[in-house]
Amino acid sequence: MVNKLISLHKAVEQYTHDGMIYASGAGLPVGSESVVFGREMVRQQRKHIHYLTHCCSQQVNLFCAAGICDKVEAAFSGLEVYGFANGVRRAVESGRVVWEDWSNLSMSLRFLGAALGWPFVPTTANIGSDIQSRSAFQPDVFPCKTKIPEITDPFTGKIYGALPVAKPELAAIHVTMSDVAGNALLLGTEWSRFELARAAQKVVLQADYIVDAACIRQYPNLVRIPEVIVDAVVPWQLGAWPQCSVGVYDSDEEHMNEMNRLLASDEGCAKYIEEYIHSWQTHDDFISLIGQAKTEGLLNNVTSHLLDPYRQWIKSDDEVAALMNESVFAKESVGR
Amino acid sequence: MNYTKQEMMAIATGREIGDGDLCIFGVGLSMLAGYFAIAHHAPNARALTEGGIYGSTPVGGLPWGIEDNRISANATCFTGAIDALGFLVASGRCDLGIIGAAQIDKFGNVNTTGFWDDQEQLRRGAPKVRLNGSGGANEIGGGCKRVVIMAAHEKKRFTEKVDYITTPGYLEGGNARERYQFVGGGPVAIITTLGILRPEPLTKEFLLDSYFPFSGIEEMKQQTGWNLKIFPGAKVVPEPSARELEILRAIDVTGMLRKK
Repeated sequence: MVNKLISLHKAVEQYTHDGMIYASGAGLPVGSESVVFGREMVRQQRKHIHYLTHCCSQQVNLFCAAGICDKVEAAFSGLEVYGFANGVRRAVESGRVVWEDWSNLSMSLRFLGAALGWPFVPTTANIGSDIQSRSAFQPDVFPCKTKIPEITDPFTGKIYGALPVAKPELAAIHVTMSDVAGNALLLGTEWSRFELARAAQKVVLQADYIVDAACIRQYPNLVRIPEVIVDAVVPWQLGAWPQCSVGVYDSDEEHMNEMNRLLASDEGCAKYIEEYIHSWQTHDDFISLIGQAKTEGLLNNVTSHLLDPYRQWIKSDDEVAALMNESVFAKESVGR
Repeated sequence: MNYTKQEMMAIATGREIGDGDLCIFGVGLSMLAGYFAIAHHAPNARALTEGGIYGSTPVGGLPWGIEDNRISANATCFTGAIDALGFLVASGRCDLGIIGAAQIDKFGNVNTTGFWDDQEQLRRGAPKVRLNGSGGANEIGGGCKRVVIMAAHEKKRFTEKVDYITTPGYLEGGNARERYQFVGGGPVAIITTLGILRPEPLTKEFLLDSYFPFSGIEEMKQQTGWNLKIFPGAKVVPEPSARELEILRAIDVTGMLRKK
């Protein structure tokens, strides 16, 4: 198996570019999400991203607030019980970001269709609603006939909708554990990561833990993202922060609210980027920024028992550092 | 009154859940109503979230989301969106879905996407106020056998025509849903902060069915933006029993519903 460990900096530098069609996984508002990958994209000042996501997340909120993306296609634009996403609201209401609405089932089906190589996906989701008849990309056309066109079932003659497939150039996906090759284990809901990983042209994982391949061989049934579709793996514990990673850490209530508060204005967003992106370089810096006491509190949560079967195979920081040096990216890798 | 309007609304919603129902709950209010029902009178109801987390009860407070740790601590199955919203909801297996509404019309069509001032602003695209969008509500509205809608009863929200149909109710009323291949039956109740509206069987227009003890027919009519008709025999909803309140408050450990 190929060792595909890569630094965060290098992964973003190599796999993202301005104007790309980008997706993050799981694309959840509170749960697993590749937030730290997004932070690095902000640091490297990516622009004009066309963002495909299942739901809003703090990554989407940040991208909208910071002007990283121009277009978003998603099913949900809030942060659930944490409230409306202020960065998204501001950008969408001002017209700076065009937000195309879908639903949670239709986004999953669009990824599934792309994964299967289908031209479109027949559906009963969204038809008859304004999700079908209004397109933010063509707001002056109503009813819009090209977003989810009507199709006739060739067998029964009944009318359904045709969902366009969603094919990201890159999916950056948060996973709980991965081996060095990219065989990944997800605790908690997989949401649409199974189909997203198969829809994207390139896949970079962001893993809380790197585990020994023996762990993967013990639980092969549980590997929902296999290494054959993974290009690179970024080891980064607490990478979903301030969101949660089931089995590992809780969502950081204080920071979820503080981040959303700051993203409500341009000044606040600039402050957020300064304090929570430009202020750190290494993973140690990142943990210091969150705070040791806070980190321990987040790690001690009601789902911690879910990680127990896997703990024996988790690689230590030193072991991961050594494995990084043996990676196919090692020769090119610099710094962090 | 020893309970809040929100608690009455949650309990009235919970009463819609039957023992054995397969139910899908959203976050916040609807989840509290659902778990209240399971603890109170529907021990065999089965709960799923659209996040693909089944068989769990919240631990440590109201979950922050349909996927967070508080709803993941004691689950019997972790799967995903296609399983929950496709295999279970869109296939027609789900008995009851509970969704929220920011704006609603007399045929039970729900807007949770945004507010626009007028057609001109709609044609330009960007909304005056961006809301949360569908999430999984659209397919819950299409696929669940019964849908219960929860909404704050205010005139600006109960409107003749919604700005945007995020989740279809009965569309233009009557048999309009039949144009589409929805497997679900549509909304059976709109449960508000003032009372309960139910659809007239033929027209599918929502009529006043009952009102809460602290409310009344006049107040509900005043707070409704269409000419709200009254079902013959409209009556008061029984107020929460001591046991109902005790169980709801045990579920609502963070006191979300007790805020006035």
